[in-house]
Amino acid sequence: MTRGSNRLTSVLSDNRVGLLLLIVVLVVLIGSLKPMFFSPAFVIGPMLTSIAIFTVVGLAQMVVLSVGQMNLAVGGMAAIGAMGSAMVFQAFDVPLIVGIAIGLVFGGAVGALCGVLIAYAGVNSFVVTLAMSFALLGLVPAVYSWVSTGNAITVQTPGLAELGRSKLSDLCIGDTCGPDGIPLILFVAVAAMIVIGLLYSKSRIGREILLTGSNDRAALLSAIPVPRRIITVHTLSGMLAALAGFMLGASTGSFTPGIGQEFMLQSFLGPILGGTLLAGGYVSVIGTFLGITLTVVIRQGLLLFGVGIEGLNILLGTILLIALSADRIRSVAGARSRLRASRQQSPAQPKEEAVVS
Amino acid sequence: MSARFARLARDQNTILAAVIIAGVIVLTISSSGGFLSPISIETFFQFLAIPIVIGLAQMAALAVNQMNLAVGAIGGFAACSAGVLIADFGVPPWLGGLIAILIGLAAGVLNGLIVVLTQINGFIVTLATMTILSGAQYAIVGTRTITSASWPEIAAIGTARPLGIPLIFWIAVGIAILLSVAYRQTLLARNMLASGGNPLAATLSGISNSRSLVTAHGLSGLLCGVAAFLVLASLPGVNKSIGEDWLLSSFAAPIIGGVSLTGGTVAVLGTVLAATIVRLVDSARAQFQLEPSWVNFVIGAVVLGTVALDRVRTRRPATRQRSRRTPPDAPPTAASRAIDPGAPA
Repeated sequence: MTRGSNRLTSVLSDNRVGLLLLIVVLVVLIGSLKPMFFSPAFVIGPMLTSIAIFTVVGLAQMVVLSVGQMNLAVGGMAAIGAMGSAMVFQAFDVPLIVGIAIGLVFGGAVGALCGVLIAYAGVNSFVVTLAMSFALLGLVPAVYSWVSTGNAITVQTPGLAELGRSKLSDLCIGDTCGPDGIPLILFVAVAAMIVIGLLYSKSRIGREILLTGSNDRAALLSAIPVPRRIITVHTLSGMLAALAGFMLGASTGSFTPGIGQEFMLQSFLGPILGGTLLAGGYVSVIGTFLGITLTVVIRQGLLLFGVGIEGLNILLGTILLIALSADRIRSVAGARSRLRASRQQSPAQPKEEAVVS
Repeated sequence: MSARFARLARDQNTILAAVIIAGVIVLTISSSGGFLSPISIETFFQFLAIPIVIGLAQMAALAVNQMNLAVGAIGGFAACSAGVLIADFGVPPWLGGLIAILIGLAAGVLNGLIVVLTQINGFIVTLATMTILSGAQYAIVGTRTITSASWPEIAAIGTARPLGIPLIFWIAVGIAILLSVAYRQTLLARNMLASGGNPLAATLSGISNSRSLVTAHGLSGLLCGVAAFLVLASLPGVNKSIGEDWLLSSFAAPIIGGVSLTGGTVAVLGTVLAATIVRLVDSARAQFQLEPSWVNFVIGAVVLGTVALDRVRTRRPATRQRSRRTPPDAPPTAASRAIDPGAPA
């Protein structure tokens, strides 16, 4: 009986299945009404590129949500990471991989600064990251206009254009070429998903982060370095955001201060649709990917039907509100079941003095 | 005597006022007096009115420990709706101005209701409504600019200069005084502060936190509507970019002005003074011909610094205890569940 109802709850609360079905239905529906939707070069390719970039953005938000915090500076961190890469490419002509690494360092450093302020100064994560996004909003365009004349940096580093814009069909082994319409950049996102997925499922740090998110007091009493984990997630978030910014720059070929401007809403949509709890303690990498895929499919479909950008914004905002209400219902249900469990077990006395953060 | 002086010196408003005076002196000297010319003063106050009002709008939300990311979207949507109604549908300008204010109020109340009904963080609710409203703003106004020639009666307010200072600045000051009195005297505002300071204590004292949240978001929206009215009055026209750049200044004014980010306090005078400082930075930028993005950087960095320093300065053990959730073994009271049903009990 209990097992059956548990399984039912877990299927109901696992919305990845629902998301996948919804995506399939939408793709079939849009594709049958507008056959243009399946055009590899004009629709599928750009769509998968968007999915790749926004998935990394979604992961950047997801890692912070996993400790029950938020990062409002994802756009700014993406911008400064892309800027860091572009500047070293331009100034020192470094190889591709070094440029990416420098970009990640830039984003990670900004994220770490946010994390330190949140963990040690005890300021709310919204406020710190919001203030950080304001500072970056000013800093990034100022630096761009200082280092380059046209407010954009065009990078000619070998390999960058291939990474950003080539498709599997450009890679041939003998006579067999990959399918058209699958951009190479998608594999960067897949790699990021695998790394983050392994971090949460296999590594000690990942488990510690999740425990911090579900109950920071219990985590602290279990000798988990809570402040350090908070800094870890914010650093990771900054690095992922920087990677996303770099991917956007690589896919368009030029690095501008505008990178990251439309990241914030998407960064929340993906994880929340995918079932990551706002309260922390639970993440879903696949869910984030599916959530992003759903929004990008909707966006692309509406564009094909001639709906303007204003209609898209209205719709995306509405989807966020609906997804949030669903998130709320889930977390209330989760709290109820935890309550029931805690009543049965009658937990030990907590030690208030031991709480430090 | 010396104690009073020390307290005065430590007071945030004194520091802000000192910064303003120093800024004015520096700007006056560097412009060799040009900064104090009547035209320059007029422009200074003309563009100070809207930042004050949107700063106060954000302050109203911060007072209940919420945020309103939609200030710009509400203001822009209200201004554009009124503009379209007046120019295209022949609505009398006065009525249009009133509608702008009412749209702001309605949007704010809606934000508050969503926050209360779904129990979602106000930040993320307003992120969603911001996206929706800015989409709606673009949908109704498109790429055109509706000039203020359609509403000469309202535009007359924008050009009026009693005592050599723009009327819209006096309006903003009047609103600030009104709010200052309201936050001291009225029960509704005291209830909002109590809810913001400590929701559990407020509930136990018989205050409805839900009503406080809706009222605070409503007030925030109303002030955005007033800002939209001031836009109609003072700017040469409305288009889709109205409100885009309001977010930073709306947060900068109350945060630098000393409003606590954990709720429960307001600082009307501080917000007004901080908005003035932000305006001074902007004037300095114009005078030294710097990139506009440096202003954002300086203000963003100041906000970040204020946030970090303020918390370190005012941190007390009591506030840290209070912000923690109920201990795991405490029986979940009806009151604590009423406030936060999602809290692990």
